[in-house]
Amino acid sequence: MAQMMYRDAVLQTLFAEMERDENVVVLGEDIVGGMGTAGGPEAIGGIWSTSVGLFDKFGKDRVIDTPISESAIVGAAAGLALAGKRPVAELMFADFIGVSLDQIWNQIGKFRYMFGGKTTCPAVIRMAYGAGFNAAAQHSQSVYALLTAMPGIKVVTPSTPADVKGLLTQAIRDDDPVIFMEHKALYGTMGEVPDGDYAIPFGHARLCRAGQDVTIVTLGLMVGFCEAVADKLATEGIGCDVIDLRTTSPMDEEAILDSVEITGRLVVVDESPPRCSLASDIAGLVTTKAFASLKAPPALVTTPHTPIPFARELESNYLPSPDKIEAAIRQTLAWR
Amino acid sequence: MANIRAFTMPKWGIEMTEGTVAEWMLKEGDAFVRGDTLCLIETDKITNDVDAEFDSVLRKVVAPMGEALPVGTLLAVFADADADDAAIDAFVGAFKAPNTAVAAGAGKTPAPAPAAPPRIIETNRPISPEALRLAQELDIDLAHVEGTGRNGRITYQDVQQASRPEARPVLLGPLDLDDAPEKHYGSPLARRLAAMHGIDLGTVKGTGARGRIRKADVLALVPQPAAARVGAPFTPGENRPRIAPMDKIRKVVARRLTEAATTIPHIYLRASVKVDDLLAMRKTANLVLGVKASINDYLVRAAAVALARHPDINIQVHGEAIHHFPHADIAIAVATERGLVTPIVRGADQMRIDQIATATSALIAKAQTGKLAYADVDGGTFSISNLGMFGLDAFDAIINPPQGAILAVGAVMRALAEENDGEIRFESRLALTLSCDHRAIDGAAGARFMATLKGLIEAPEGLFE
Repeated sequence: MAQMMYRDAVLQTLFAEMERDENVVVLGEDIVGGMGTAGGPEAIGGIWSTSVGLFDKFGKDRVIDTPISESAIVGAAAGLALAGKRPVAELMFADFIGVSLDQIWNQIGKFRYMFGGKTTCPAVIRMAYGAGFNAAAQHSQSVYALLTAMPGIKVVTPSTPADVKGLLTQAIRDDDPVIFMEHKALYGTMGEVPDGDYAIPFGHARLCRAGQDVTIVTLGLMVGFCEAVADKLATEGIGCDVIDLRTTSPMDEEAILDSVEITGRLVVVDESPPRCSLASDIAGLVTTKAFASLKAPPALVTTPHTPIPFARELESNYLPSPDKIEAAIRQTLAWR
Repeated sequence: MANIRAFTMPKWGIEMTEGTVAEWMLKEGDAFVRGDTLCLIETDKITNDVDAEFDSVLRKVVAPMGEALPVGTLLAVFADADADDAAIDAFVGAFKAPNTAVAAGAGKTPAPAPAAPPRIIETNRPISPEALRLAQELDIDLAHVEGTGRNGRITYQDVQQASRPEARPVLLGPLDLDDAPEKHYGSPLARRLAAMHGIDLGTVKGTGARGRIRKADVLALVPQPAAARVGAPFTPGENRPRIAPMDKIRKVVARRLTEAATTIPHIYLRASVKVDDLLAMRKTANLVLGVKASINDYLVRAAAVALARHPDINIQVHGEAIHHFPHADIAIAVATERGLVTPIVRGADQMRIDQIATATSALIAKAQTGKLAYADVDGGTFSISNLGMFGLDAFDAIINPPQGAILAVGAVMRALAEENDGEIRFESRLALTLSCDHRAIDGAAGARFMATLKGLIEAPEGLFE
């Protein structure tokens, strides 16, 4: 086990998989990071520092700087994947999937189905998402719900360095297209990462805290918030099952239902807007399949149904916080 | 005319609202004379004969036997033998029960009075129609209801929550978690079950999606407890209940007790009294008085004297009115084969022990033979229920409305106690529980009564004053 940062887990996994399989190719805006600068091509290594040293090791045929065009990046990845490569494309901000939506939604997500299963599309599209950086409405969004709603693609949202390694390894080796979503606020977080070959199967949620009174389903940055709240409530004798979904498509329905069948109470914590959201999807799942076990209506902790504000004070008030999560848990416990 | 007369359900007491014809002694067409028994009628409290007040012929029986009918319901028609059937049928058809809304022969209780109209709530807050209806029905103050709907709109759920008492969830608490990196992928519950049963997940074959280990995969490996192998296994036979409908008395007891237990806020005041002196005195006193007065008779006397000193206990509760009585009419609970009856020793506060003993033994004899008259059971200002003969320590009784209190008496128990001289000796003690209707009797008033009662029993000379 090695201690490393979330961003280093991304980099080391890319490095290891490129070393393992020469079909793995990375492409994106500025991923080489210094092309045309005085410091040379490797001066920066991508704005998230998730591709430092790849160019030097694997060269220009496997580490490709692209024009500023998400359509082109995802379209190229689709073509590479159909041609037998295992492309890992990077979108600098998940907010920009809009311009590549045809490539994601109508092309890579549907090839396998429209070609009658005769081809696969093993593309990985990495993207940085999430709020908390005072980056305003167009650079802060958590678009996993939009992508989860699209059949044919898998959506992965790691919350720890270890999960980055296990899930990115699985994403690259997976024969289906995978959207790999990295939370910007987690890049600098440290954690233990297992050594050696480590792949986590998709659709396998992680139980981060165990308790028998409330089930908290969450993902990404919110996992840490929920763990902190669960630890605080544990001192009062309130036990929380904290479930980190890890992948929203496929989703670990069994882990959620098994837990709610014991606790009878559900809180979903999701840093995206509430309408047609992951939170409402999980609340719907539980109310349709575990209605008999519920002691209180599911509580949803989400953002308001507005674009993300720019001002720091507004943004911090906009996002779910430990206080809001704790209030929601207490609200379900106080149901009469 | 042919002297056609109606025979209706009689009203034997202020509380009697319905009765049941238990048995007809005559058939249609039988002639009878004044004093003949016509039928047996059961009420809440007793069964009595109904005797003819004039000579006539039972021409037509209208009321079926065994059905509870309101007072005033037409039971039968009496007429001279020469009256023609058509006239009698016309009489039945035209009969209207006096002072009741019940038509002839109709065995239905009158419709309950319509409930008071719900309070109208004026509000300018957004609220769903059903939520408003519920708030009005339950008289909920909307100022204290938080609207969880869009823009603060109050939903049905919000009002329902506001109407309920605060939740007291039963917490099961946190569990320990093995946070080592997973080598084998099972659902959280599968992992927990495997840990509980000491099963290595590596040995479990997962049947879930992508080979995931599911709860069922682990449970399939949990060893089943070996069945005991001593002789042939016991197979329980069919356990089918014998279904017996409640009889009249049981139904009445069930209804009255349910009403009392659910509508009267009971408080229970318990005391243990020393009865050595009473037991010693009883032998001598019974010789002097020439009666076999039971402990219960002495308790009736003690309660009556105590009631005379505490008129705030000697009451009946009628709605929002409290009826205070100058004298103590004490009901004694008697278990009979047909159920519990509570005949009344009237004016017990003015009776000597021997008079009480004579009265109670007469009432008990009547109760055991089912001959209690309505007057024997109607009213009462206090009750005593004694189950001491069954050897139980103590119990709490349900108040017999409209009375305000009931005294529950347990068995005489021998107990070690420190006496006034510091020695420890056995003494005889009796457990008493006073159930009070807290709407009318406060704890302090009941406690004062109990203190007097305790004093009278422990120093029983006072019972002979």
